[in-house]
Amino acid sequence: MTSLRARQLFAASLVLTAFIALCGAGLEQAFNSSALQAEEDKLQGLAYALLGAAEANDNGDLGIPETRLPDPRLASPQSGLQAAIVNDRGGLIWGSPSLADDWPLTLAPQEVGTWRFQEQGDWFSLTFGLRWLDRADAPRRYTLLIIENNTAFKAQLKTYRRTLWGWLGGAALGLLAVQLLVLRWSLTPLRKLTKELHNIETDQQGNIEATYPSELTPLTDALNSMIQSERNQQTRYRNALGDLAHSLKTPLAVLHGVTDEDVKDANLRGKLREPLSRIQAITDYQLRKAATAGRRTLSGPVAMRPLAEKISGALQKVYADKNIKFSINIEPSLRVRADEGDLYELLGNLLDNAAKWCKSRVQISANLSRRNVELIIDDDGPGFPENAENLLQRGVRADNQTPGQGIGLAAVNDLIGVYDGKIELQRGPLGGGRVLIQFQA
Amino acid sequence: MRALVIEDDAALRAQVTKILEDEGYAVDVAADGEQGLYMAEEYPIDIAIIDLGLPKTSGIEIIRKARKGGRSFPVLILTARDGWQSKVEGLEAGADDYLVKPFHKEELLARTRALLRRSGGWSQATLKSGPISLDTTAKSVSVSEKNVDLTSFEYRVLEYLLTHAGKVISKTELTEHLYTEDEERDSNVIEVFIKRLRSKLDPDSTLSPITTLRGQGYRWDLPRE
Repeated sequence: MTSLRARQLFAASLVLTAFIALCGAGLEQAFNSSALQAEEDKLQGLAYALLGAAEANDNGDLGIPETRLPDPRLASPQSGLQAAIVNDRGGLIWGSPSLADDWPLTLAPQEVGTWRFQEQGDWFSLTFGLRWLDRADAPRRYTLLIIENNTAFKAQLKTYRRTLWGWLGGAALGLLAVQLLVLRWSLTPLRKLTKELHNIETDQQGNIEATYPSELTPLTDALNSMIQSERNQQTRYRNALGDLAHSLKTPLAVLHGVTDEDVKDANLRGKLREPLSRIQAITDYQLRKAATAGRRTLSGPVAMRPLAEKISGALQKVYADKNIKFSINIEPSLRVRADEGDLYELLGNLLDNAAKWCKSRVQISANLSRRNVELIIDDDGPGFPENAENLLQRGVRADNQTPGQGIGLAAVNDLIGVYDGKIELQRGPLGGGRVLIQFQA
Repeated sequence: MRALVIEDDAALRAQVTKILEDEGYAVDVAADGEQGLYMAEEYPIDIAIIDLGLPKTSGIEIIRKARKGGRSFPVLILTARDGWQSKVEGLEAGADDYLVKPFHKEELLARTRALLRRSGGWSQATLKSGPISLDTTAKSVSVSEKNVDLTSFEYRVLEYLLTHAGKVISKTELTEHLYTEDEERDSNVIEVFIKRLRSKLDPDSTLSPITTLRGQGYRWDLPRE
């Protein structure tokens, strides 16, 4: 459950469902028992009415004349309401005209003065134990039995249940909808923040500008100062590195010059040269490594084509004698989410290397699918030597004639490593070398 | 040829100056951007070697201003910031090549030579004109494949004339481009050198490579190859 919205909705619906279910069950239970109570009361009332109408018959037993039946349903068969009086030996001494032959109960005699109400199958039954003094004032025990069909009761209950759950369901849906709206409303600032961050990433705005609820303000303030300091820091860092490079390399250049002077003792020159080139290589490598920014989170993507055009324009000047034709197959819309300085290094080193070795043609193409960048540089030069992979290692140079500049491929290899990419040296369609670079940006 | 070196580090400045002077260049030096810019705008220089990280006025600023002022001499930038961004920036501002510190003497000279001959419209390291050929790398001159011995100054005069073959070069221009401001100049000396060059390159007076235009100067008149 990764989204706040989903969490909120999940929790809310869980609580709501439980509440509705318990509430429904409680209401249903309450209604059920009160309906049963009402039924019992009704049957008791009927029992009293029956007893009130009862009189002794010719045998001295209890009976109820048909004309005095309190409820007309007792007089018509199949009406669903039946009554009977049973003596203490279980014999039927009186039955209402509606009493079916297969009346369902064989009763144990009921304690005198007590009631028993129960529901059995399709029927409610109420039994009442009574004592009757006959004409000779001798007490006789009877049990009065009233049976009522419960179909109507069940139907009523069903209607109630349907209505109840219908309303509860409706209320639940309504509450969920309200909850959804509330959620939407309260998450609006977060959505706005996401959108602003996206705009910052795509360089459409400099920092977070909108006003946010007080809970979010510390966060947006912190983000703003982070964006600002990241930008400043990168620039400051680059400048500091540049200054460091300048102040290290100028004396290095002087020392180099000393080893070049013919008048100096040849032995000393030899001794100086080796450590000097080592110092130089280490300085180059470390400065380069430090200057590599790597993937940036809150910086905009950089368009590749103008970069490639700038660099090849500059190289055309440097290699003016060759009159190199650079063909650039890069969509103007292609933008890569990488640091601009890193891309300068990448393209600069690759194109310089190609320009150095080509006869007259260099071809650059780049593709971007999802976040995979594929960059291909072809030249029409002699191609790479057999153990070309060595060129990618630090310290090995394709040409030893131009110190300080032959570090191109190794530099690219280091840089690509920071972007988890890979570099391949192949033979290209122009007959010369092809460098294939793939990285995620 | 006259070179301008703008470099703030005294040791490196002295070194570069010495390398160039040993090679026969007349070298003007500036230690900061302000002085460098003045020289780049005012002095008759053939090539400028400019450090990018300069106090006062940055190297890129100097190049931009000099180019804006119509100066077209080739510019070689020296950079310690080997970031491509600064190289590209320098080249876009109007520099023609770059050299990353530290560098070897040969590298500096090779690039300087290449820029100079390119600025004269030559694409090969050996300038060939008629039977005469001048190897800028070896600093040797031959006529019909036979080596001719020239003094260093004779060579410098010839290199200048040949680099600008077809163009009229005044005595003043030659003096300006072969001497620095501090050196003592005598334009009459030029006449002497031209005379000596003529007799060394064309002892039988059959080629007449150098034409004298009265009141204007000299012109190398053999066709470029």
